Amino acid sequence: MSKLKHYETMFIVKPTLTEEETAAQIEAVKALITKNGGEIVACDDMGSRNLAYEIQKHKRGYYFVVYFKGEPTSLKEIERNYRINENIIRFIFIKYENKKEIAAWTKMSDEAAKKAN
Amino acid sequence: MAERRKYGKKFCKYTEMKVDFIDYKNTDLLKISMSERGKIMPRRLTGNSKNSQEMVEKAIKRARHMALVPYIVNTQDVTDAAYAK
Repeated sequence: MSKLKHYETMFIVKPTLTEEETAAQIEAVKALITKNGGEIVACDDMGSRNLAYEIQKHKRGYYFVVYFKGEPTSLKEIERNYRINENIIRFIFIKYENKKEIAAWTKMSDEAAKKAN
Repeated sequence: MAERRKYGKKFCKYTEMKVDFIDYKNTDLLKISMSERGKIMPRRLTGNSKNSQEMVEKAIKRARHMALVPYIVNTQDVTDAAYAK
């Protein structure tokens, strides 16, 4: 069995979309992660907030965080899809590797799961 | 004669708060180590420990990329608060 690693991804969806469209965007990303062998542990909906600086002439953005376990090779495919998608203006992947970081990751994902319920 | 110390002993705020991992989403933690203009404050001014300084540095850079924290605050154009949510 291949080893799954702990990751976190955050992305910003365009503020011009309607609520349903943003929800659809988020679902699409989640589906993409699971399709590539990822295992979603928790999601954090940070909602629409002001950007610290303008990105593509947008002053606001809809933030969403996904904590997941996945294979390192799948990230490339997810990243490719992020870049194609015009509705996502920024994204980041963070890998949690050593013991301390993984402890922080489990703590954060637990909190996110608690918040969602 | 040696120069007298004018300030109290510096201490690392993160060690004091017992933070063992600094998350880039937690902007309140990051602001401690940032100047008003959005720069990362040096260790010699804040008194951060080497370990926590390395962590905030990384976290601030990630937060800047995700537009949670500004790269620079333009003082000539202050129409709204720089760190508004």
